[in-house]
Amino acid sequence: MENSVSEAKDIITSYHGPNLRIMEVCGTHTHEIFRLGIRKLLPESIRLISGPGCPVCVTPVGYIDEAILLALKHHAVICTFGDLIRVPGSEMSLAGARQQGAEIKMVYSPLDSEEYAKEHPEKNVVFLAVGFETTTPAACLAVKKARKDGLQNYSLLVANKTMPNAYLALKDSADAFLYPGHVNAIAGTAVCEELVKKGISGVVTGFTAGELLTALAVILKLSAAGKPFFRNCYPRVVRPDGNPAAQAVMREVMEPCDTEWRGLGIIRGSGLRLREPYHSFDARLRYALPKITGHSSLLCRCGEVLQGKCRPNDCKVFGTGCTPQHPIGACMVSNEGACSAYYQYGGTENG
Amino acid sequence: MDNTVTLAHGAGGKQTSQLIDSVFKAHFANPDFTADDAAVLQVDSGRLAFTTDGFIVSPYEFPGGNIGKLSICGTVNDLSCMGAKPLYLACSFVIEEGFPLDKLEEIAAAMEKTAKEAGVRIVAGDTKVAGKGQVDHIFITTTGIGRLMDCAHTSGKYAKPGDAVIVTGDIGRHGCAILLARNEFGIDADVTSDCAPLWGTVKKMFDTTDQIHVVRDATRGGVGTVLYEIADQSHVGIQLDAQKIPVAGEVSGVCGMLGLEPLYLACEGRLVVFVPKEQAQAVVDTLHQCPYSKNAAVIGEVTADMPGKVVMKTEIGLQTLLPQPGGELLPRIC
Repeated sequence: MENSVSEAKDIITSYHGPNLRIMEVCGTHTHEIFRLGIRKLLPESIRLISGPGCPVCVTPVGYIDEAILLALKHHAVICTFGDLIRVPGSEMSLAGARQQGAEIKMVYSPLDSEEYAKEHPEKNVVFLAVGFETTTPAACLAVKKARKDGLQNYSLLVANKTMPNAYLALKDSADAFLYPGHVNAIAGTAVCEELVKKGISGVVTGFTAGELLTALAVILKLSAAGKPFFRNCYPRVVRPDGNPAAQAVMREVMEPCDTEWRGLGIIRGSGLRLREPYHSFDARLRYALPKITGHSSLLCRCGEVLQGKCRPNDCKVFGTGCTPQHPIGACMVSNEGACSAYYQYGGTENG
Repeated sequence: MDNTVTLAHGAGGKQTSQLIDSVFKAHFANPDFTADDAAVLQVDSGRLAFTTDGFIVSPYEFPGGNIGKLSICGTVNDLSCMGAKPLYLACSFVIEEGFPLDKLEEIAAAMEKTAKEAGVRIVAGDTKVAGKGQVDHIFITTTGIGRLMDCAHTSGKYAKPGDAVIVTGDIGRHGCAILLARNEFGIDADVTSDCAPLWGTVKKMFDTTDQIHVVRDATRGGVGTVLYEIADQSHVGIQLDAQKIPVAGEVSGVCGMLGLEPLYLACEGRLVVFVPKEQAQAVVDTLHQCPYSKNAAVIGEVTADMPGKVVMKTEIGLQTLLPQPGGELLPRIC
């Protein structure tokens, strides 16, 4: 282990090849890379871009507006992962709605929200279903359980997303991707092999210092050949076929749809929605929500940050108007958002 | 209802006296415990330390203690950090109507047991009862007086370049135990609070060396917050070595799942100590002999560079800024 770490470090620090843009698409990777100080190792020719891998960051403003409408107008109890509470909507965040009397409950798992709805039949409960392949199976299980339990007071506001089509949309933003190990643990690696055929390179990796450094070194080595590539550098967790049981429950409960990503616009086939047999658990249908187009602050450049078109500290409000305590954009909210990571580790690219 | 606290218990009449006699006097009995409006205490010459702290922990019982034990440890440890031997405490209770009397007994018993261990006397108190829903079960405020040892001159202002940074045990236990006890995350892990009275520990450190520059208890905000405060007060930089920071396996497991940093979780029985590098090993050896500091370790040093900043040497030998905490601790979502 010691050896492989120092070997990977040597490969990275002695890199003299052409300029390379490597995009990490997992908020945990972003955070760990900063925490470990890996950016300080990189020669100038290598640029790490924090892509759209934090579910909170890519959730569009209109989604927050929908949740606030459910809470304030329909008096639904909103169950959500903690990070979403402070994401700004068009007018306010869920934290702001809470101050106006909305009932917002933080949960760690979608199943907790189902349990809460079961224990409180007098309340209408809506779970904010965001996230990628890592969190979607649990949301699907919660819906299945709600149907089994015969719940009439439980629904989901679904904004779950899948990664493959996002890579295609971001093809021109990066030369290689650091694929998110947790997502591939569910989805498997076939999708990455397919991307190679479309000219997209990447390496799937884990979250320790050794795994991250090794993956970067592998990217540098393989890039030299000038051909698209894929390697699984996280084989102890990621199997080629992923987690078939989790995939099956997702397929059973949800189906692909077009969806909006903050900053990236609509990406075809990259979203998920509940299939017809589960429509009674779809909050948009149950409450006949109108189509909401949110509008984010004109000052915020999160959209460009997520595509690597600008660095967080290129944004005029970074660290002044927009801080983790008073975020203007979504990327400043979650600990794992690109802006938040830049801010926490000193406000510069290398931390 | 005979077995719960009622508004009548707080009205100042007969029931109030009964409650005080049966619960507080029964447990706190000592020659200085007052039946009058104020305790009368004999003060020796010298310097006194004087402090107060409020406790509103939820839940009020947790693995490793309860709000009573916590309320004594908190004030005893604040006095101890100044190098002051805790002498007397006053405690003020705000109790919610309907609070079970047997739980109040348990809390009072824990307070007396902890006070005895710390060698401090509870000499005065106050009891108020608030209507249902006006407080969360029970709030306690403790106020304490201690006498400073002549050799004690500690302050967050006195950290100096060349000092070693010592932590007296594995960190983040209390915060982690409370998070788990709230039962909001569906995580089962065996984490006990580190809540403990530390006067004995501090005394032993001062017996080892009188060159102790800073002693702080890393309570709310954890070790990370305390280090930033000291870096700021003393205008010095602090460099930590990630691999030397003691964290229990269960605590780091829970933190990994919830996306929390142990350096920012509260401790209630851990001190951060700054001593000249040359004294560090002797202090750590002493700490290893004390009951609440078996895992004490040197975790870093003070530098003249980067005043006001805390820098971490990571497990791959690179240096990064330790992020400063802010806002609520929110678990991450994936």
